[in-house]
Amino acid sequence: MAKKIRVLMAKPGLDGHDRGVKVIARALRDAGMEVIYTGLRQSPEDIVEAAIQEDVDAIGLSCLSGAHMALFPEVVQLLRKRHASDIVVAGGGIIPEEDIPKLRKAGIKAVFGPGTPLRDIVAFFEKAGSAKGA
Amino acid sequence: MREAVPSRPAAPSVRGLVEDLLAGDKRAAAKLISLIEDDEPEAAEALALVYPHTGRAHYVGFTGAPGVGKSSLIDRLVRDLRSRGKKVGVVAVDPTSPYSGGAVLGDRIRMADTGIDPGVFIRSMATRGHAGGLALATFDAVRVLDAMGMDLVLVETVGAGQSEVEIAGRAHTTVVVEMPFTGDAVQTMKAGILEIGDVYVVNKCDLADPDVLVANLRFQIEERDGWRPPIVRTSALKGSRIDELADAIGRHRAFLESSGRWEARERARARQEILENARRILATRVREGPTGAGFEALVGEVVARKTDPQSAAVRLLAQGAAATKSQDRRTRPSSRPRARKR
Repeated sequence: MAKKIRVLMAKPGLDGHDRGVKVIARALRDAGMEVIYTGLRQSPEDIVEAAIQEDVDAIGLSCLSGAHMALFPEVVQLLRKRHASDIVVAGGGIIPEEDIPKLRKAGIKAVFGPGTPLRDIVAFFEKAGSAKGA
Repeated sequence: MREAVPSRPAAPSVRGLVEDLLAGDKRAAAKLISLIEDDEPEAAEALALVYPHTGRAHYVGFTGAPGVGKSSLIDRLVRDLRSRGKKVGVVAVDPTSPYSGGAVLGDRIRMADTGIDPGVFIRSMATRGHAGGLALATFDAVRVLDAMGMDLVLVETVGAGQSEVEIAGRAHTTVVVEMPFTGDAVQTMKAGILEIGDVYVVNKCDLADPDVLVANLRFQIEERDGWRPPIVRTSALKGSRIDELADAIGRHRAFLESSGRWEARERARARQEILENARRILATRVREGPTGAGFEALVGEVVARKTDPQSAAVRLLAQGAAATKSQDRRTRPSSRPRARKR
């Protein structure tokens, strides 16, 4: 059977705004992916540990608090430390334009701001999952 | 679709993965579970290598309606068991969408705190179309965690209705979780899920008086094979009486061992699993195998009314299995029949 694409959706840090991450989790589900949602207030360590145990293809990080510059790159670094940098990391939320190149440079493969069409996000994770699994 | 050769970076051999697993490596455990779950060509080899290292862990299943508190209870229980020095694996099953094939696996939300403990491994799993409250690969994943050295492996079924009872045939101990105000006395008399518990939990005792439900359960639950299932009143939210639940689970294991029922369950399960695998292999052979001249001759006899389809089927099976292509690669010491295509 075809391998399922598995994606971990997580909210690092302290903000409690989880509508966006839930909408995306639902969209990925409807695109046939298995989405592990870990809930609010996760540390980068929690997220990386869960990603490894769940053997996901990709991680989607959502942050609306402004702490993305601290939290997103740390996830990438911890993955590297655990020899798991094959797991693709993307981010979304309220992220100023000028931060996006810095995040990309830090290993965040894509940054999705408000208004991004869901199909773009779905397409990104489909590509991430199939490039990795196949 | 997919190419045959995996291009994952530095994909280690199955044997290497199993060695790492036995050394307690979590990434290896996760990778092995995935390749079994995805039914990769290496799955049979993986299961065969893992199986000899299993048989030590206590498999405990949790079942009950959605929202009754299974995940929260497991989270609390894991912490209690950790304080007793036990290593704990968890396999949590949630449903796959029948429409998209996707799933949202949310059991981990309740287990966030315990997930990073080095003595804990939690894996979420989607049913991928399997009925009965489990996924096909659930107990293969359980075995991977057993081989990894977990003392207990807790299995959370999908929020089961009244008849998802498969867990009882798989686990050593089945915990049925209920909560107050879920129905009158007749609900507790119904057959199915309320018959399979070795331990009963009435959860959410902080929200409502559990006495009526406990009394109704006590009235219905009978001693089975020398074991009277206890009823534990918990609040997973507050963490109350979780130690009592852990004690009850431990007592059930001790009972199984001292009464010889552990051994009996192992034999019953082995018997069931051999037959299920045989059935699966036969089904594959019948579906894909018989195409040769011998088979066509049988078809001709049935069409000519020289024999009937049932007699022809008996002869087909007697000729064996011979009329097959090389399906044996997929023979695996699995815990379940595996559909080749889903």
